[in-house]
This record gives sequence, C-alpha cells and structure tokens, in this order.
Amino acid sequence: MNKLLRNIWRQIWPFLIAAGSLLLLLQLGHLRQPIVIPAVPDVFERLFRDIGKSSFWQSIASSLYRLGIGYPIACFLGGLLGLLAGLSRNFAVYLRSLIGILQSIPPITWLPMLAILYGYGNIPIIAIIIIASFFPMALSVMNGTEGVSHTHLEVAKVLGAKRGQLLRKVYLPETLPAFITGAQVAFGNAWRSLVAGEMVGGMAVGLGFAISFSGEVADMKGVIMYIIVIGTIATFIDQFFLEFLKRRLLHWRYIKGGGDH
Amino acid sequence: MQTLELRGVQKSFGSLQVLSDIDITIEQGEFAAIVGPSGCGKSTALRMFAGLERPSSGQVLAGGTPIAGPGPDRMFIFQEHALYPWSTVEENVGLGLELAGVSKAERLKRVNAVLDKVNLAGFNRYYPTQLSGGMKQRAAIARALIMDPDVLLLDEPYGALDALTRLTMQNELLKIWSGSGKTMLLITHDIDEALYLADKIFVMSARPGQIVETIRLSEPRPRNRNSDSFAAYRHRIMGLLGIEES
Repeated sequence: MNKLLRNIWRQIWPFLIAAGSLLLLLQLGHLRQPIVIPAVPDVFERLFRDIGKSSFWQSIASSLYRLGIGYPIACFLGGLLGLLAGLSRNFAVYLRSLIGILQSIPPITWLPMLAILYGYGNIPIIAIIIIASFFPMALSVMNGTEGVSHTHLEVAKVLGAKRGQLLRKVYLPETLPAFITGAQVAFGNAWRSLVAGEMVGGMAVGLGFAISFSGEVADMKGVIMYIIVIGTIATFIDQFFLEFLKRRLLHWRYIKGGGDH
Repeated sequence: MQTLELRGVQKSFGSLQVLSDIDITIEQGEFAAIVGPSGCGKSTALRMFAGLERPSSGQVLAGGTPIAGPGPDRMFIFQEHALYPWSTVEENVGLGLELAGVSKAERLKRVNAVLDKVNLAGFNRYYPTQLSGGMKQRAAIARALIMDPDVLLLDEPYGALDALTRLTMQNELLKIWSGSGKTMLLITHDIDEALYLADKIFVMSARPGQIVETIRLSEPRPRNRNSDSFAAYRHRIMGLLGIEES
C-alpha cells in the first residue's frame, strides 16, 4: 500500500509543480494589475462556491456527454480506417491524402456548415470532435499495421495460422500500442475541438459555453476558474486514465528485463 | 518421415540471382547442414523447404511431393528467436497447438513436457524480455518441437549467441535429434558447428549460390573438435570457401 501511494505521488508531483508555476504567474499578474486579474485564492474561493451549484456540474456533464459520444466513435472509425489502410496499399494512399486535406482545415471551420444542416445542438459539436480526432488514430494504426514484423507473421504461418488467426494473434497484439498512442493523441484533439466548438457553436450549456459567457460579462474569476477546470479534467483523463489503460493493456512492455541482453 | 529435395532450383529476386541450379537431397532422419558465405542464398534455400519462398524454376519436394506452403510437419526455427514479446513462454510455445484448436488442458501438458525437454521447465509465465539469449532460442525450439514435426529447419539459430552458450545449445540439439528420426537441416556460417552436428554438409559458393561440394561425415558422436579428421575437414571447407588460413 505504501509503495502504491509512493508511485502515485511520484506521478503527481511534477503536475503539482507545473500547475503551481502557472498559478504563480497568475499571482504575479494580479500584483501588477490588481483590478483586472484576480488573486489565486479568490479564484479558488469562487471554484469552491461554484462546486456547490448544479449549473457548474451541468456544464461539465454536457461537455463530457458530447466527448463520450464523439471520442469513442472517432477512435473506432480511425482504428478501422487505419487497419484497412495498413492492409491495402491503395487505400493507404487515399487515406493519407484525405488526412492531409482534413488536417489543413481547422475542425471548427466545419461548424457553420453543420449548424445549417443540423441546427445548433449536440450533433455539430460531436461531428467536429469526430472530424478532429479520427485521423491521429487512423495515422497511428496505419503506421502500426504497416510496421508489423514480417518474421512474426511467418512464425504464425509456419505454425499453421489461417488469415483470421493471423489478424487475432499477430496483427492485433502487434498494433495495440499504436491503437493506444493514437487514442491518446486523438483525445487531445477531441478535447480541444470540443471546447472550441462549444465556445462558438451557439451552445447554451457546456464548459466552452461557460467560459465564453464568463468572458462576455467580463467575469475574470469565472474565466480563469473554467480554464483551470478544463485543464484539470483533460489532464486527469489523459495522464491518469489513458495512461493507466496503456500500462494495463501493454503490461508486457513495462516488465524489467531479466535476461543477459 | 520425409526426405527433402531441391531439384534444379533457381531463384531470383528481380534481377538479382541468388540461387543457381541447386540440387540437394537430404534423407529422412538425416542431420544435414549448409555452410556458405553470407548472401549466398542458403537461407533462401531453407525457406523454400518451409514453404515460405517459391523457386523461380525447379522443384522443391518433401517426401517426394512438391511443397506448396508451410505445413505442420516442417517447422522453421528463425535466426532471432522471433518469440512474441506480448506473450509468455507458455503462450509462445503453445501457439501452434492453440491455432490447431487443441484444448487448454492438453496444451499445458504438452507445453510442460516440451519445456522440460529444452531445459526451460518452470519458465511458463516469463516474458521473452525476461529471458537470456540462449533461453529465448530454447523457447523458440520448443515452439517448433511441440508440433512434433518430421523436419526441423534451422536458420542460423545460434548466430546471435555467445560462444559458450552456443556449445551447450549444440549438445542440447543433438540430444533432441538423436533417436527421434527427425530430418534436420541447419544453416550456419560456423564451420565447426556444421562439422560437430551434421552427417552431411553442403558447401555453397557466394552469390549466385551453388553447391560446390557435398561432404559426408561418419564420425561417431559426440565428436572431438580437436581431432585430426575434424581439423582436416575444417581445412577443406575453408579452402572451398576461399578462406586463407594463416
């Protein structure tokens, strides 16, 4: 138990120091511009007050709801396309070009079109999350599939593997790291486009809406509080949840070598 | 049990000819070796017997019938163990049986028996990264042996091991082979290894690979690496390969 706590501490303290340095900058800003920039303790006081309000939790819940639908769809779609591209050279060429184009269009640019089609609501935001985050997944899985060891495949063939067995016994475990890396990069894209979409998408609820509303009424404490909340949630999901998942699924990668080379 | 045969085999990769008109026959139960300089196509010849490569012309036969692809009666042991890093020793060794749909209990029994045979008993739950080079190659041999193949094809299996481990492994390989009736074909660039293990040695020339001589050995095993006849054979093969002795 003691060891577990120490491990958790070892992972957390760099984040605490990084967060602390950002808060320190804020406090310095407050000292120079005491009227515009709030003091750090005041921001946290506001945070603790808002935690008791249901509107605060509603913002988080509706953002996580959009993420919770868009992000898994993007991962699934990206994984599937990446896998197909890894197996078919022609499709890989097409997919690379498609991604090249999509990458040069900021995801938020799709919002007006989607809003005309579906009206303001959850659908355009979810669509933007998918557009923004499927391609890191697809790229990562495609590269992973192309990089499957030829020898590993031959081992299975010699041992009598059929096509489906090759997929399950070699392709899947060998590309799993690429799936997870892709999912981690995709999460960053999904989160950024979610908040951006909520800020400009005419939403009435969500973290992005909350921060842009605070900005409109010149509520600096609210703006900074939401920046902190947005950063904290994303860091938690990325660094702890996804990282934990990675170590669980790829436990063989984190085993200390006991051999002589 | 099977004889292995290459009949008038040629192989080119694009414009690069690697094998030119090769004829070799390995009798069933025989321990044969191919020695030759790197790039002479000896691995290509071995891969043909495994069904991993097809000749550009000529015939590849096992037990008199043409080889169309890999088969469970011919197992191939790769240069660099090629164990799956995401699987334990037990899962790696049991892979062939798992693919064939053998039940878990039966698999475990046979995995344990074969691990015992290659001196890896008790290492079931280890991952490849936790094993030494020799142990990895033992696990790779176990993965092939568990299929109880008629033919074992070994592609420089000990090339990456240190000299001491290599000597131990050679003795272990002899123990596995002797009395089993299996046909063995070993690719090596280690002349002593071929002389210590094989009944028949094919000496190949540089690219395009050709058989320059077939040497038959009848010395009883275990062979003395310092005997006069051993030295004479070594001298002869080195001469064939164009290596000057100082």
